[in-house]
Amino acid sequence: MVEWFLDPFALGFQQRALAGGILAGLMTAVVGTWLVLRGMSFFGDAFVHGIVPGVAAAVVFDINPLLGAAAAALVMVLAIELVNRQTALGEDTSIGLLFVGMLALGVIIISRVDSYSGSLTTILFGDALGVTSQDLIIQAILAVVVISAATLFYRPLLALSFNADKAQLWGLNPKRAHAALLVLIAAAVIGSFQSVGTLLVFGLLVGPPATAALISRTVPRMMLTAAIISVFSVWIGLTLSYHLNTAGSATMAIVPIVLFFVVLAFTRLRTLRREKVMSNV
Amino acid sequence: MSNVVVGHKVVVARGSQIAIAASDFTIPQGKITAIIGPNGSGKSTLLHAIAGLLPVSSGTLTVLDETPVASQSRISYVLQYTTVPSGTPLTVAEAVAMARYPGLGLFGRASKEDKKNVASAMERLKITDLAKRHLTELSGGQRQRVYVAQGIAQDHAILLLDEPLTGLDITSAKTIDSIIHEEPDRGCSVVLTTHDLEEARAADHVILTAGRVVAFGKPQDVLTTENLTNAYGLGSLHEHKATDLILPTEHHLGDHSH
Repeated sequence: MVEWFLDPFALGFQQRALAGGILAGLMTAVVGTWLVLRGMSFFGDAFVHGIVPGVAAAVVFDINPLLGAAAAALVMVLAIELVNRQTALGEDTSIGLLFVGMLALGVIIISRVDSYSGSLTTILFGDALGVTSQDLIIQAILAVVVISAATLFYRPLLALSFNADKAQLWGLNPKRAHAALLVLIAAAVIGSFQSVGTLLVFGLLVGPPATAALISRTVPRMMLTAAIISVFSVWIGLTLSYHLNTAGSATMAIVPIVLFFVVLAFTRLRTLRREKVMSNV
Repeated sequence: MSNVVVGHKVVVARGSQIAIAASDFTIPQGKITAIIGPNGSGKSTLLHAIAGLLPVSSGTLTVLDETPVASQSRISYVLQYTTVPSGTPLTVAEAVAMARYPGLGLFGRASKEDKKNVASAMERLKITDLAKRHLTELSGGQRQRVYVAQGIAQDHAILLLDEPLTGLDITSAKTIDSIIHEEPDRGCSVVLTTHDLEEARAADHVILTAGRVVAFGKPQDVLTTENLTNAYGLGSLHEHKATDLILPTEHHLGDHSH
C-alpha cells in the first residue's frame, strides 16, 4: 500500500513535478484567496489565458517564457484599464474582450510553429514532468515573494475586500492595494504555468480558496485551508495520474474542483441536519 | 454654535450627472443632523462628499476646518449594511477590530486601548455575545449593529451614518438610535440620512435635499409643508390635494430656511 503512494515519486523528474506543483499550489492558494474574496474570478480566468500570446511568442523567438508571460500580463492589465477608462462598458466586458483577444493572438502566434498542437498543449496544460531544477529555483523565489507580499498586505487587502470606501477612510489606499493584488496574481500565474499550464493555474487559483471559503471563518484560516487543499490536490493528482496513466497537470487541477463539490454537499447536509434538529426542538 | 461642516455653493457630480446642484449648508458641532429627501435626491452623495469619497466639482466644502480628504482620519462613516458584502469570512470581533486599522497601519499591533475601544463599542451595541459569530450568520439588524460598532470603535469627531435605521428589527433600531443620541454627549457630531420624517424631526438640525439642498436649519423651520412639497413634489404630508400642489421649480428649490 505504501508503495502505491511512493512509486509515483521515485524518480527525480517525478519529485521535481511534485515540488513544482506544491510551490504553484501554495502561491495560488494565498493569492487566490484574495481573488475569490474580491469577486475577481472572471478576471483570473481571463488573466491566465491572457499570458498565452507572451508564452507563444517566447516559444517562437526562443526567449524565456517567463519574460513573455510577464510582458503579456502587463499588456492585459493595461488594456483592461484603458477600456475601463475610455468607455462606459462594464469591467466584465473589457475583461471578456481581452480574454478572447489575447487567447486568439496566442493561438495565431503558436500556429506559426511546426509542432503547433504540441506547443499549445504544453502552454495550456503545462508539463509537470518536464520541470527543471532551474524552474524550481525561480518558482521558489516567486513563491516566497508572493506569499510574503500577500501576508504583508493583509490589512489593506482585507479592508478592500470588506469595502473600498471604508479602506479609503481607514487610510489603506484601496487603489494601491488593488494594484498590488494584480501584481501578485500575475506573479503567481507566471510562477505556476510551467508546472500546471495556463489553463489549469486557474483551477488552483479558484478551486482551493472556493472550497476553503465553505468551511473557514476567517481569512487567515481560509488561506491556510486553501494551501492544504492545494498541496493535497497536487500530491493526489500526480499519484492518480501515475497509476491511471492520465495527464498530470489536468489530474492535479480536477482534484480541488471535485473536493469543492464534496465539501459543498457535506456542508449542505450538515446544515439540513441542523435545521431538522432545530425544527424538532 | 460652531459648525463642523460648511458648504458654500457646493456642486457634487456622480460621473457625468450632477447629483447635488449648487448648495449652501452647515452642520453644527456636537449635534445630530438628519439629511432627508426622496430617493435619488443626493443624501448619500452628500455624505460621500463630506467623507471625502467624492470630490466637490465646484464651490467649497470645509470639514473640521480642512478639506474633506484632509479630515478623513477624524471621520467615521457607517455605510448601509446592504452595500457591504457579507461573504467575507470575518467574525464579528474581527470586523469591529478593523476600525482600529487607521492607527495601526500595515503592521502595528493592537494596544490595550485599541482592544478596550473595540470591546466597549461591541458592548454598547450589545453584540459582545456575537463576537465569534460569522457575519453571514447574522440577521440584517445584527449586521448593522456590527457596522455601527465598527463606526464608533474608530477614533472620530464626526460620525456619518447612511440610513442606519432603515429596515431593522426593533431591538437593533432601538440600540442604534440610543447610540446616535449618546454620541453628541461624547463630543461627537452625528450626521445621518433618513427617509423617516419623525426621525428627522427628532434631530437637532435638518438638511432637506432634492437634487440640491432645499433647506437647512432647525427641524421646525425646515420640515414645513412648503419645503416638503418642494422636495417631494407630491405632498408627502397629505395636507393638500394633489391638484393644489406646485411641482418644484428652480425658484422654489433655491429657497433656504435658516
